Amino acid sequence: METRAENPPNGRAAGDGPGTKKMGKKMEQVGHTAEQVWERTRDSVSDIGEALDIQGRVTRNPYGTVAAAIGIGYVLGGGLFTPLTGRIVRLGVRIGLRLAVLPMLKQEMSELVSEIEDEEGKGRASKRTRTRGEEP
Amino acid sequence: MEMTEKIEETAREIGARVRPQIEEARRRMSSMNESATAYIKANPGKCLVGAVAIGYLVGKLASRRG
Repeated sequence: METRAENPPNGRAAGDGPGTKKMGKKMEQVGHTAEQVWERTRDSVSDIGEALDIQGRVTRNPYGTVAAAIGIGYVLGGGLFTPLTGRIVRLGVRIGLRLAVLPMLKQEMSELVSEIEDEEGKGRASKRTRTRGEEP
Repeated sequence: MEMTEKIEETAREIGARVRPQIEEARRRMSSMNESATAYIKANPGKCLVGAVAIGYLVGKLASRRG
């Protein structure tokens, strides 16, 4: 009875032809290239990570980093030029104005009031001196 | 005078009743804040990818409506 090793399929001997060797070399090359590509990608990803300092940013300001990530996603999702963005910006401007301008206005008003009070005090004093000088 | 005293007493009672609840709520909020911060610091990649995904979805929804 003939065995499979003595009579291989398609009449070819298993693993000792020149085509098989070529194929093996090519496979080796492909594997090597894939390894190189993977190493380069890993290096570049780690370089980007180091440049952005994501871990440091998250440690310093976790909520801010998450908010920035949400903002990036929002822009990527195409939500930049929408009415919702308009509303958010308007709300932000209103809150910012309240936080920044109102204390300034308060300070200005208090300075104005103190100046007016000073001037009134000076006016009264000069009136008193005048009236004393007119007396016989 | 009696009316004012009564009002003051009621306000004091309400304050005494509500103060522990407010304290408890404050404690819970601070512990939640601490745990959230710790989670974000422990899993920055997950949190950032999730945040980008949430932002993307919100942006998509906003662009569809607008």
